[in-house]
Amino acid sequence: METVLNVESISKAYPDFRLDNVSFKVEKGSITGFIGRNGAGKTTTLKSILNLVHPDSGKAEFFGINLTGNETELKQRIGYASGSISYYNRKKIKDIVKITKEFYKDWDDSTYRHYLKLFNISEDKKPIELSEGMKVKLNLAISLSHKAELLILDEPTSGLDPVSRDELNDIFLSLAEKGVTILFSTHIISDLEKCADFITYIKNGKIVASDNTENFITKYRIIHLDRELTDEQRAAILSVCKNKCGNTALIKSSDIDAFEDFTVENSNLEKIIIHLEKENCYEINY
Amino acid sequence: MKSIIKKELFLSASPLSYFFILFSFMSFIPGYPILVSSFFICLGIFYSFQSARESNDILYTALLPIKKSDVVTAKFAFTVIIQIFSFTLDLIITLIRMCVLNSSDVYLQNAMMNSNFVYLGFTLVIFALFNLFFLCGFFKTSYYIGKPFIVFGIAALLAVFAGESLHHIPGLEYLNATGFENITIQIIFFASGAAIYIIFTAVSLHISKKNFNKTDF
Repeated sequence: METVLNVESISKAYPDFRLDNVSFKVEKGSITGFIGRNGAGKTTTLKSILNLVHPDSGKAEFFGINLTGNETELKQRIGYASGSISYYNRKKIKDIVKITKEFYKDWDDSTYRHYLKLFNISEDKKPIELSEGMKVKLNLAISLSHKAELLILDEPTSGLDPVSRDELNDIFLSLAEKGVTILFSTHIISDLEKCADFITYIKNGKIVASDNTENFITKYRIIHLDRELTDEQRAAILSVCKNKCGNTALIKSSDIDAFEDFTVENSNLEKIIIHLEKENCYEINY
Repeated sequence: MKSIIKKELFLSASPLSYFFILFSFMSFIPGYPILVSSFFICLGIFYSFQSARESNDILYTALLPIKKSDVVTAKFAFTVIIQIFSFTLDLIITLIRMCVLNSSDVYLQNAMMNSNFVYLGFTLVIFALFNLFFLCGFFKTSYYIGKPFIVFGIAALLAVFAGESLHHIPGLEYLNATGFENITIQIIFFASGAAIYIIFTAVSLHISKKNFNKTDF
């Protein structure tokens, strides 16, 4: 598979936070979910990749080319949208687009009209008159009209109702079918289960996993702690979560034989991530 | 560069930046510190930066397929365009005053600064101070506009004070000529103002690009 984005050892230190050697790859035509809780470093990573934040070390290559020194050419092929930022709120969309399209050599007006119609966006409206979901769709329409091959979306689904989120996930899937590569950050894990081919999981500024979604899920099992644990079993437990009907623990699939008497729960991405976030959480006495 | 300047003029700019160019007509007012009109023109440009900040214009521009440093060049180009436009109006008004209205009583008895080439030189100095203190200060963070504008305001006030005081010093009365008297001295003042404008703007552009490239959004 062709690598569209290759992030290599990006580090950035702030007084109270550190992005530590972040590396991952995004393959052509795939949807990659970039997950982590609020403050894990998702936005800083995406901004570092796009040179909006200056990493202390590391680099990002798009289509095999370093962004530094080639940003004019590469930005023609990349679309970026942030769910929390909108631009020129009080200007009409048609005025914003009239100026914006002059920067893109491959701008296609018919594609733009197609997506406006598909997303039901009126050009006479102003961004302030659009819902959060519509703002993301407008950014998508603009990116797709200049034939962006890679979409980098920062929390595009946060703040959206479940139906709008689902609708946006459908759009991502249909874009991926057309060969568009999507990297999107989110803390809403259920979004990834629907559409992500790959996940890259960041925790406290470090990449914990970057893998095919299925592979990632099969690496872990969740068991019910409904009986006494031996010392060997305690050592194999990665984390524990408190539930209404008892505690559950996350273990590696390779350790499942040691827990043959325990009830194994159907694990999914959301449960695994929640357990992983509670790693080193010892307050529950199991 | 053509597209980005067009974006600055038609998308990012506040209408007040254009409207405030009309303050150049204050150069006609006798008995008034007419150098203040240059401050108002800079205030109009300030409103564009304020509006750009509110509309996330800098981030939007940085994401366009241009070099990052072009974001700074475009803002400087916009500022210089407004200043040159205002200066051209100032120049026309000054020439009208010097050629046609130079014997008018209201200007002959004007205790404040007259509109002549010395005045035009001071106008360029005030624009230069804006470009140095405000633009350079703004691009340190690409966000904060208050402190850089206050620093510019103080510097501009001192420049206005200097302009209004110099011709009251015995022996320097000729600086307040209503026509082409002592034109060589007037031209020297004007040329000095122009040199300061060019140097300050170039230095500020260089520093601003450097700072902007280091800015984290």
